[in-house]
Amino acid sequence: MYNYLEYGSSDAPRNHEDPEQYDRFMARIEAGEKIEADDWMPDDYRQGLIKLISMHGISEIMGALPEKEWVPKAPTLKRKLGIMAKVQDEMGHGQLLLRVAEDLMKPYGKTRKDLIENLLSGDLKFHNVFHMPTKTWADAGMVGWLVDGAAIISQTNMLDASYGPYQRALQRICQEEVFHAQHGEAIIMALAEGSDHQREILQESLNRWWPSLLMFFGPASADTTGSSKQDIMIKYKIRKSNNEELRQAFLDKYLPRVFSLGLTVPDETVHYDEEQGQWVYQQPDWDEFKQIIKNKGPRSKERLRLRQIAYENNSWVRQALSKEVVGS
Amino acid sequence: MEETNFYQEYEVFSKKSVKAPIQHQFSLLAPNEEMALSMALENFMRREDVLDVWVVKRENIRRMTSEERTNWTKRLDNKDYRKTKGYGYLRQKWKEKEQGMLDEKEIMSWKEVKKK
Ligand SMILES: [Fe+2]
Ligand SMILES: [Fe+2]
Repeated sequence: MYNYLEYGSSDAPRNHEDPEQYDRFMARIEAGEKIEADDWMPDDYRQGLIKLISMHGISEIMGALPEKEWVPKAPTLKRKLGIMAKVQDEMGHGQLLLRVAEDLMKPYGKTRKDLIENLLSGDLKFHNVFHMPTKTWADAGMVGWLVDGAAIISQTNMLDASYGPYQRALQRICQEEVFHAQHGEAIIMALAEGSDHQREILQESLNRWWPSLLMFFGPASADTTGSSKQDIMIKYKIRKSNNEELRQAFLDKYLPRVFSLGLTVPDETVHYDEEQGQWVYQQPDWDEFKQIIKNKGPRSKERLRLRQIAYENNSWVRQALSKEVVGS
Repeated sequence: MEETNFYQEYEVFSKKSVKAPIQHQFSLLAPNEEMALSMALENFMRREDVLDVWVVKRENIRRMTSEERTNWTKRLDNKDYRKTKGYGYLRQKWKEKEQGMLDEKEIMSWKEVKKK
């Protein structure tokens, strides 16, 4: 997950914060200093980061699980190797980000186990795009090109984040995303310059992904879904831009490229308004978005099942590696 | 099986080349040292050049506390007496005597001396 979506309720008691300490903290953030895991931080900063980063981390993994299913189906050896490398990167991103979240959760006595359990129980959400089905090889390209593209827009926006460990993880992640972007481009370029059938499946794929791509950045304001914590993340200098600014940046970068390939988007009203200096587009169905992130999307259950199977199938590995004698 | 204590925190360090210093990469969770090392290679060394990788259990690292870091950065900033900067006036003195100053560039270039 790459932007902020509220879920569950905060379970940590709010400390009585010392206003002086708070001012010192804000002064550090304003001065561009980085906050480290063991530094004092206000509760809403810690809790906001835990939600943001655990969702980001778990979404990397929830995205990689269905993406790995493409490895045997990829058309050539080179494509198999490419998508395998990308899946491995995404798992790596998940590992990095979960570490960052875990260090933040430590004062609450929570660990990775809680994160995985929260995911399976539905308390920890994962990103809307990973609740959607994939049909053809064009989808593998579309995910690599535009889903990763959207992710790159929101992740690069946090490259200067005030929280040191997250900011450092993002440097590495964004560097690897450059490869993902080009990997996705390579797949769609081959299809776009291919046969009529290849162009058809590419267009069909984009038509299906379009609403999800718009939803990716979250609603423009809190009134749409009744919850949005984008402001607090901006106040604490985690991210620089709000949801709509990020969506516009995505449209700026990608729509001209989409059109240059002779592709269209399933929205006749889409155009750049010179006066407003922004893209005009039809809003996706935000009620559907709410359902999707509540794990009521078309593939939510199957994706969670994949995670559960991976967890259960590998439990013998954890058992075998555990130092403690089984049953002791 | 009790899985709560299964994972332990390791910090990962690596070295890119003979001349490069050891660099901190990130942390990871692993059940033991061997797994920590192989995960470090998987997580951090998929593409980059690397000569050596260290994994260190986090509990074995005595790092500065938040407070210690704050105080450390607040220490005396006038350390000219400890640095070459405090002795820069010598350049002019030597110049008057038509000699060059033995600065860092000069001294670090003394790796080779004339063979007889
Ligand atoms: Fe990623
Ligand atoms: Fe990616």
